[in-house]
Amino acid sequence: MIRGGRSYVTSPPSFSNDAKKLLVCTGNNVSVFSAATGLQITSLEGHTAPVTTLIVVPASSAAQKILCYCWTASLDGTIRHWDFSGPELLKTVDAQVPIYSMVIPCLLSEPQQLDSSKLVAYVSVEDTSLVKEGSKELRGHIRRFNLAKERLPRGDTLKETEEPKSIVISPSGEFFGIRHKCKIHVWGVPSGGGSRNALAKKMTLHHTKVINAFAFHPTERIIAAGDVTGRVLIWRSFGNRKLALASQKKNARSMVDLDNPGVRDGDDAESCTTWHWHSAEVNVLNFSSDGAYLYSGGREGVLVVWQLVTGKKKFLPRIGSPLLYFIWSPEPTLSSVVCADNQIHLLKMPSMEISRTISGIKPPPSLPKMYEGLSSTVAFDRSSGIAALCTENYCVQLYNLLNDRGISEVQVCERNHQPGDEITVVVTAVALSLDGSVMSTTEVKLPEDGIGGLVSLKFWESEPDNKTFTLSTIVYEPHKDAGVSAIAFHPTRSMAVSTSFGGDFKIWVCNSDKSQTEKDSSWICHAVGSYKKKPMTAAAFSGDGTVLAVAAENVITLWNPVKNMLLSVLGVTLTPITKLCFVGKSEFLVAASNFPKPELSVWNTSKLSLSWSYGLRIEAVTSAVDSSTFAVLALVPKTFRKSKSKKNIFRGRDGAILLFNGSDPKPVSIWTVMKAQGGSISFLEGDKSQLRLAFVNGSHEYVVFDPSSDDTHERSAIDYEGLVGEEETGDFGYTSLYGQLPDYDKKRKEDAESLATPFISSERPWETIFSGSTLNFPPLQKLCGEFFESLMEKSNSVVE
Amino acid sequence: MEEELRVRLNDHQPSKIFPVKPKSTPKPLSKPETPDSRYWSSFKPHSIPNLVSSVSAVAFSPIHPHSFAVAHSTTVSLFSSNTLAPSRRFSFKDVVSSVSFRSDGALLAASDLSGTVQVFDVKERMALRSLRSHKAAARFVKYPVHDKLHLVSGGDDGVVKYWDVAGGTVISDLIGHKDYVRCGDCSPVNDSMFATGAYDHTIKVWDARVGNSKWIAEINHGAPVEDIVYLPSGGMIATAGLNSVKVWDLIGGGRMVCSMESHNKTVTCLSVGRMGLEGENRLVSVALDGYMKVFDYGRGKVTYSMRFPASLMSVGLSPDSSVRVVGGSNGMVFAGKKKNKARDEEEKKKASVVTSFWSVKSEVDESRRRALRPSYFRYFQRGQSEKPSKDDYLVKESKGVKLTRHDKLLKKFRHKEALVSVLEEKKPADVVAVMEELVARRKIVKCVSNLEEGELGLLLSFLQRYCTVERYSKLLMALTKKVLETRGEDINGKEEFKGILRNLKREVNQEIKIQQSLLEIQGVIAPLMRIAGR
Repeated sequence: MIRGGRSYVTSPPSFSNDAKKLLVCTGNNVSVFSAATGLQITSLEGHTAPVTTLIVVPASSAAQKILCYCWTASLDGTIRHWDFSGPELLKTVDAQVPIYSMVIPCLLSEPQQLDSSKLVAYVSVEDTSLVKEGSKELRGHIRRFNLAKERLPRGDTLKETEEPKSIVISPSGEFFGIRHKCKIHVWGVPSGGGSRNALAKKMTLHHTKVINAFAFHPTERIIAAGDVTGRVLIWRSFGNRKLALASQKKNARSMVDLDNPGVRDGDDAESCTTWHWHSAEVNVLNFSSDGAYLYSGGREGVLVVWQLVTGKKKFLPRIGSPLLYFIWSPEPTLSSVVCADNQIHLLKMPSMEISRTISGIKPPPSLPKMYEGLSSTVAFDRSSGIAALCTENYCVQLYNLLNDRGISEVQVCERNHQPGDEITVVVTAVALSLDGSVMSTTEVKLPEDGIGGLVSLKFWESEPDNKTFTLSTIVYEPHKDAGVSAIAFHPTRSMAVSTSFGGDFKIWVCNSDKSQTEKDSSWICHAVGSYKKKPMTAAAFSGDGTVLAVAAENVITLWNPVKNMLLSVLGVTLTPITKLCFVGKSEFLVAASNFPKPELSVWNTSKLSLSWSYGLRIEAVTSAVDSSTFAVLALVPKTFRKSKSKKNIFRGRDGAILLFNGSDPKPVSIWTVMKAQGGSISFLEGDKSQLRLAFVNGSHEYVVFDPSSDDTHERSAIDYEGLVGEEETGDFGYTSLYGQLPDYDKKRKEDAESLATPFISSERPWETIFSGSTLNFPPLQKLCGEFFESLMEKSNSVVE
Repeated sequence: MEEELRVRLNDHQPSKIFPVKPKSTPKPLSKPETPDSRYWSSFKPHSIPNLVSSVSAVAFSPIHPHSFAVAHSTTVSLFSSNTLAPSRRFSFKDVVSSVSFRSDGALLAASDLSGTVQVFDVKERMALRSLRSHKAAARFVKYPVHDKLHLVSGGDDGVVKYWDVAGGTVISDLIGHKDYVRCGDCSPVNDSMFATGAYDHTIKVWDARVGNSKWIAEINHGAPVEDIVYLPSGGMIATAGLNSVKVWDLIGGGRMVCSMESHNKTVTCLSVGRMGLEGENRLVSVALDGYMKVFDYGRGKVTYSMRFPASLMSVGLSPDSSVRVVGGSNGMVFAGKKKNKARDEEEKKKASVVTSFWSVKSEVDESRRRALRPSYFRYFQRGQSEKPSKDDYLVKESKGVKLTRHDKLLKKFRHKEALVSVLEEKKPADVVAVMEELVARRKIVKCVSNLEEGELGLLLSFLQRYCTVERYSKLLMALTKKVLETRGEDINGKEEFKGILRNLKREVNQEIKIQQSLLEIQGVIAPLMRIAGR
């Protein structure tokens, strides 16, 4: 079982101290990527709920740069301390309440004296004891927490809000704060460190608009805040009165009576200036590490660099998606921008060029109402396990499901995507041929006020063993001005069919067979067919390609695709058919209709009669090529789900995958799934021996599993072996410090292998540690323990 | 793994600008550029008007510079093939039917409809010989390819005559055709062999050495023969009759090799032309349907076809294949001249030989002058125009996207200005592309309502011209309606818009009429198609 498609952008990522690794929160895990190659190296697994905060312990000196320790906080109520070079879990602190955000000021303020007994964290938690629906209790708490002790003392609550807020800390570790509607609450961290009585001092800054993001200056007392209207406010010298340290108090008092321009409500700040460039809300604010520049970004997808003294601007435009976070690395030439479309761009710094992109699976596009449920925005290449997904910025993303990695993007429509604009151009459907060499897309340009509007159908071809598609043919208005409802490819020949709501379908063939030159192959219309002028809603080729089934609203017509002859008409269903699928090489045909009365029906094409049917709402149908099994993704009705006896089974899952075998109306197996709405399924049959089923849900998370086995053993999608090779070998790496170690390790490894083989056959986790670069070798003492562990035989009874 | 990495390296760059592009037009399925079409369309057209009546014959001198004679009405005009200008005229008593040059290009024979065959010196006005023996109109006269002393002629009396030019006497009367003799040609390999074609559907091959006035071979074309031509090998002939051209193998006993029937009307004249100096031979035919077709008789395929605005009567190709002359029935001569690259190069070479003598000295000069110092401006430009040699490794700069004026304006969200600037450019495809972009930005209605008077006129005249063009009509019709709705009060009563509106109305009415008639045709065809489908 392979799970993947996690969001990389739920919380800000973090660079390691040597800036060679990027740690990203991905669901319950933390993934570690190489900044040089953009490939995943390893992952920290252990949390049982999404990880919300990630703090890399900063290095105080150059020698410590190779230290790879981090703290994570998660919604499962635990705080964990990791060594991510290993990776190894060092410590777990159980806080018992879901943690939404955490800061550890003393890591930043006094890194030299890292005494773990004095480690104090400030956390934003949700008090689950108060959860009642509709109650107006203040559930979000900001608490002080001593990481040395394992329990969260209740008395140290600093602030209570309706919702848990994210905490922002200043890079110097002196202040931290939260934003709350139009206010920013700032606390000064008591310098005393661990003493219980030294509670943080608090101050508040006010604004008239809801504040979306704010940041502290690394050295001076400056706060920058961005609001929903796109304004950036800069408060200078805040907290001179309230947060002043004892020694500075005298100076501060003299400034009280001065006129403070732009500061509201007698807030404790010297001045407040406003910069306005962003047209929409500001999501990203961050000062550069030396404090000379301010980075800001928002929904427009433009990163703006402000020179703090002069207010001059520089831009990185057309990122193409709303920005979520901007972080800089210890290396001055590298920083990173995180976008809402699940992409992490690594920037080359002074020039702000995008040098590399870590691309997660992109979220589904938001379609206009009329296309919802009709379009098929996900297509599968069955042999290689690649999914083609339509995205918001008029692209098709090719995503390898087996490796959990984005491969490339195909710009379907040559337009600049401006996030936040009204949607006027939509890629409505994508289809891949069975061998994955041809892709077909349709796009719709919506008319303005009855003017314009254009449907176009495009065919893309890829070179063999190259996953980049090039445009082969554009067909403008393939069915006059009617929209394309479905595209299907012939299983063996280069032939495709497109159906339209306008009442006709067209068969397209590639004419490359005649001209023989690859380059000028193009797709031309081979035949046009219609049945009683009824809107055609779905199409499918039979397994051997001799029969084409086209759904004409509520009847199924069978055609000979080569001669364009109507063979026969299958009986009438009650509602319009939306999906059609032949069951492998057998004579059965599956049809699904959704509205107004959902129905799944299976037809026997040799007898031209209905075999059986269910009243299920079907999202997707797929069938295996060689066997007679087929699977459907059904939405489970709410009334059924909510009934008391079933509540335990579903637990918030709204869909089910049903696996059928041939004509048997009893499903072979059933799996319940989450977010089935808008999801799709497909069989993957790369190697003949193994048939796997891929399910991509409505928010593009996916799972690939073997439907025949009961194996619930979960495997992360990534094969770490072989991915690590591209690491840069710097001169201050592990090898330079412990030059002798690699040789020693190698010898030990060989020993271990020769010794280990007779004893252990299945689980040898320590073996994978050695493959890859020496940078990732765990420390010796750790290896030793694991090595001995591997020598000893595990008793099976313990595992069970 | 490596492949994956490579794919990752040419990662999708998000910051990219897409200029507005017009819709691509469909490519023709067959490739338009074949060597044949390239060759035959490379003649630079040059028409010679103002000749009276139909051009009945064209003949080229076999000697360089290959001047040509054009027979029209009662005159034969001599043209220079360099300038395509007339140089001399010969007058006749009756309409001239045929012209032929002697092998040395010094004499020229012509026949007229009174039955006379006259021989001229190309440099003198008066006829050298006047050969009278045909009892009816003479239709063709031909000099043998190398023989300077004899002539072959034929006419409506059905007799083919073999003349001794010096004495002005008929050597032999060749009788055999049962109808008007219309054409004939002499064998390019044997001076005493010739073939004639007549309206009795037959082609007869004669040998002057055989005394008994009997043809040595006979071929039936199956239609009245209009023209006949020997192919350069001498073993094959091509004949034209009605709308068909047939190629026959004489040595193989008069077997038909291939036939071409792609003309729609009677083929009037044939000619053999070579493609370039070393190229293959092609048969060129012209017909009354106004088409000139080039026939590759080796492959049996028409390789090029060209339409002229008149019925065509005669065709001629110069022996060095640099000039092509086609005569029309309305007195137009469509001449075409090729640029002779080979000769140009030769001349250049000659010129370079002359200069190379001097180049040694100039190199010395050059090296002295080359010592550039920073005090010269040229010092800073040195080496800029240097061309890369073959084994140099070129470092190519990535080209930026070229933005046109309307793209730049669209980038700055100055929508109305973008629309106006593209309207001024007068490229309809670009205008429609910009309009589609505006629709996608939901700005077209606002743009239209913001247009000032002059700009509105620009838009209206564009709409009037293109709104009924099929490719754009879907967008433009809706837009026209919108413009007239929203800007009604501005358009009403303005003098300058009146004409445009009237034209617009007419265009639309015309389009409606066309659509109606098309519907009628569809109504007629649909039942027929249905029956055929059964």
